[in-house]
Amino acid sequence: MKEMSLTTPITEEQVLSLDVNDTVYITGIVYTARDMAHLKLRQLLLCKENLPEDFRGGVIFHAGPVVKKVDGGWEIWVIGPTTSIRMEPYAEMVGQLGVKVIVGKGGMGEDTLQSLAKYGGVYLLAAPGCGVTHAEAVKKVLRVHWLAELSVPEAIWVLEVNKWGPLIVGMDAHGRSIFKCIALKASNVKERFFKVR
Amino acid sequence: MAQAKKITLPLTDETLKDLRAGDNLLLTGVMYQGRDAAHKRIVEALDQGRPLPIDLKGQTIFFMGPSPARPGKPIGAAGPTTSIRMDSYSPRLIAEGLKGMIGKGMRTKPVKDAMVKYKAVYMAAIGGAGALLSKSIKKAEVVAYEELGPEALRRLEIEDFPVTVINDIYGGDLYEEGKAKYQVKA
Amino acid sequence: MSILSGNGTIDKQFLKDRISYLLREKCYITISPDVMYLMEKSYEEETSDSAKEMLRTMIENVRMAENQKKPVCQSPGFPTAYIRWGKGTDITGLKDILKEEIVNDTKDGFLRPSMVHPLTRKNTGDNSGVGVPNMELEYEPTLDFMEVLISFKGCGAELGNAIKIFTPAQIGENAKGIKEFVIDTVIKAGGKPCPPIALGVGIGGQMDVAAKLSRRAVSVRKWTDHSPDPEIARMEEEILGMINQLGIGPGGVGGKATALAVKIESAYTHIAICPVAVNFHCWVARRGGMRIYPTGRIEYLFEGKDKK
Repeated sequence: MKEMSLTTPITEEQVLSLDVNDTVYITGIVYTARDMAHLKLRQLLLCKENLPEDFRGGVIFHAGPVVKKVDGGWEIWVIGPTTSIRMEPYAEMVGQLGVKVIVGKGGMGEDTLQSLAKYGGVYLLAAPGCGVTHAEAVKKVLRVHWLAELSVPEAIWVLEVNKWGPLIVGMDAHGRSIFKCIALKASNVKERFFKVR
Repeated sequence: MAQAKKITLPLTDETLKDLRAGDNLLLTGVMYQGRDAAHKRIVEALDQGRPLPIDLKGQTIFFMGPSPARPGKPIGAAGPTTSIRMDSYSPRLIAEGLKGMIGKGMRTKPVKDAMVKYKAVYMAAIGGAGALLSKSIKKAEVVAYEELGPEALRRLEIEDFPVTVINDIYGGDLYEEGKAKYQVKA
Repeated sequence: MSILSGNGTIDKQFLKDRISYLLREKCYITISPDVMYLMEKSYEEETSDSAKEMLRTMIENVRMAENQKKPVCQSPGFPTAYIRWGKGTDITGLKDILKEEIVNDTKDGFLRPSMVHPLTRKNTGDNSGVGVPNMELEYEPTLDFMEVLISFKGCGAELGNAIKIFTPAQIGENAKGIKEFVIDTVIKAGGKPCPPIALGVGIGGQMDVAAKLSRRAVSVRKWTDHSPDPEIARMEEEILGMINQLGIGPGGVGGKATALAVKIESAYTHIAICPVAVNFHCWVARRGGMRIYPTGRIEYLFEGKDKK
């Protein structure tokens, strides 16, 4: 298990060098996106319209913050991961966009695992429920997209972060997923409990 | 609608040969009444090699738990309960010689297979028609598991008790055939 | 001193101030003391390094939230209020006060605006909305106090919730069928409900009764308590023990601390059925409760780290 610091834009080489259970710290630009933002991105792609950001080499954070209005902009008050599996239907799209790192909680599924292997990417776990901790790493809110339309939690917040972590590699670019292993082990334990006598 | 056949209980293999899914029957004779808890007890007794309260061979069980009888009446409302809940128990009882079951709703494959293998039928009584059905029950007495109240095992003497055959010994299934008749062909 | 006016209605400002204090000091910026106790105990007993690190981060996050008066978690969850009262008190205006305080607390940054129309998904912007908060009211004439308990339970955890209407045959010997259903539900949820979780299980009644019992079980009971029913208490211990052998761990990273508690509530049911509802609670137990007596005396619930 190794520790790695990454600065955006993140390269395929860097992502390929990561293994499950490694620890990552991120510096640079992070985009928040959850249910409605992913849906809107897909709609824009279908209609061949322009996207609000270039996501190549980027980091998507499944999150919706608590924000405070400050002079000239916004401050992230509290931010933490939301349940990633809800974004599983967008696995292929996120890979195609060039996203190299997805950060969330709870894990993702087979489609994401395949997309990570196909396009080169990793899924990282951020400590869930730790809204104050994660906010400490956010230095600045650079801009926000679709705030009026989608409201605070669902907008795309473009954040500048410094040494954000520890984030744990849950799924790597080589087809490995700690969630699959844990689920399998748990099933085996369960079989022992309820063995048919 | 076809004329209902008058059938005398207990059911024999000879009688079952002529019954088909969809037949309307009027049953006269003796049958037993029991549901979830009584079935569990019977199967437990079979598992532990203990004697059963009744000899299952040739018998018919009505899945039902009656409401209390009015004074002077043998039984209260006596409508069928949902049969599928007894599905984990029925194949055992059929293997021990049970020939008939009465209830409501579909049965699962293991039960249907047992009926074909050991020759037994499943019949449906009208769901919710508790008052009507109780009229065909002339006598009712608890023969086992009295402490279970409505779930006790009872011996019933019936006369012209109306049922429809759902599953026969040839694999016929009225619920399947009935649906197929009305399904819109693509 | 009485907080009740001449005609028996409660002093609105007094009630408003108490509710505001309960929310801002006991709910948003901390987790209930019994849960913190269990988190610290889990940290001590955890065997996996990454799991220990995860628990350390979680506990430290709560300390930071308390110090900075920030909400522990960015998601407000969905608020549920359990209100009980009797002849001695009166809850006139309480429901409105709860709704108003939640809107005020949203404006002041304690709650992220997260309530939407279920179909259009339009955000109300201030956590107002039909059915918000979810309020369970119970009038018990003999009570001489008013009790208000508010819980903000995360809704990612709701995705794992499950309900099954068992037949008597499916219950199994020693409720084996029910235990297996509960364990299957926990395995399927994995790390999604923010472990270490508490599990609420409702058994009996009808479908909706079991569901309500499952939420009540995990919302109003101290996670360190024991059921007064020895049969239920045994089952709670047994299921908790099984869950903590599954290896899902805090945040789903793998480890021992998957669950902090299992709370079962039950009701009698019909002979043909046994409804079982499973309700996940994330580790971020933002909840507070108080009893208000007519004299103005306040007793806070969940105070003190009860040992198991």
